[in-house]
Amino acid sequence: MKRHFTTTHEDHRIALLAALAISIHIIESAFPSPLPGVKPGLANVITLFTFIRYGWQTALQVSLLRVVISSLLLGTFLSPTFLLSLSGALFSLGCLTLLQWPFRYFSLLYYQPGAIGYALIASISHMSAQFLAAWYFFIPHPGLFKLFPILITFAVILGLVSGIITQLLLRRIYDKLAKPSCRQAS
Amino acid sequence: MLSIGKVQFATSDLIILFSSIIFTVWLYNVLWFANGQTGEAEILVVQYANNMPLEYSLQEEQLISIEGAIGNTIIEIKQGKARFIHSACRNKFCVFHGWLTIAGDTTACLPNRISISLKGSLTDFDAIAGAQ
Repeated sequence: MKRHFTTTHEDHRIALLAALAISIHIIESAFPSPLPGVKPGLANVITLFTFIRYGWQTALQVSLLRVVISSLLLGTFLSPTFLLSLSGALFSLGCLTLLQWPFRYFSLLYYQPGAIGYALIASISHMSAQFLAAWYFFIPHPGLFKLFPILITFAVILGLVSGIITQLLLRRIYDKLAKPSCRQAS
Repeated sequence: MLSIGKVQFATSDLIILFSSIIFTVWLYNVLWFANGQTGEAEILVVQYANNMPLEYSLQEEQLISIEGAIGNTIIEIKQGKARFIHSACRNKFCVFHGWLTIAGDTTACLPNRISISLKGSLTDFDAIAGAQ
């Protein structure tokens, strides 16, 4: 039996971005981390890029695909790690959408934060959601809160780094698209 | 607009950056340093595994004996301080930790699954613990 699926241009784009994010996530998980819970989070550069360029619906699909498929490949599907990863991804994307909403609603998108501001908010909310999920589901001990400021410090530093990477990526792609030869080809 | 090399910071980016730094400093202040300063230690909280925490007043001197996961543990309260004086565990980290003196101090004996901590009357921290 042969089935035909019709896929749109949008689907191809989501698949491509999700594949990129999954590969980065898996490569990153091979490196040891200095502290449990601290990771560079370079896969979130792709999510952030998608959010800024294509909007939150596309970013939601890409990040859900990233979380589910990379957990299947790493063998952590439905484990505590998966739960933490999912809660972080959903909450940080929710925060980004909420942050962008007033700018979109009053059509002031020109004044919205750049990649760096979004990256900082995303990484801080990602870390907070993961921390609260870990505290609530796995280690409900108040002593865990002593670790929270250290984790947030790392989140700010790594969020700044991923914001800078995203900004350079966005500018590079914008420059590429601005060339006349490229515009005709696409 | 501020640009360092190829990287450009918009005004809103700078606002978010500075407010997140202030947020971090505030977190250190609240979660690390506010603990010992607010109030004297008044209560000893002893918890075994996931059972209800037991509370003892630090005013009366006594020896508390608790049956843990692998054996007996004895905790001493004296002059507003508390310590482990005997434990069934192998490494005795809990005993070597010595006296707990100020509110917020915590020691745990992981093999025996017993943890003790001192609580003041006014610590910020306990408001969080009580809320869960």
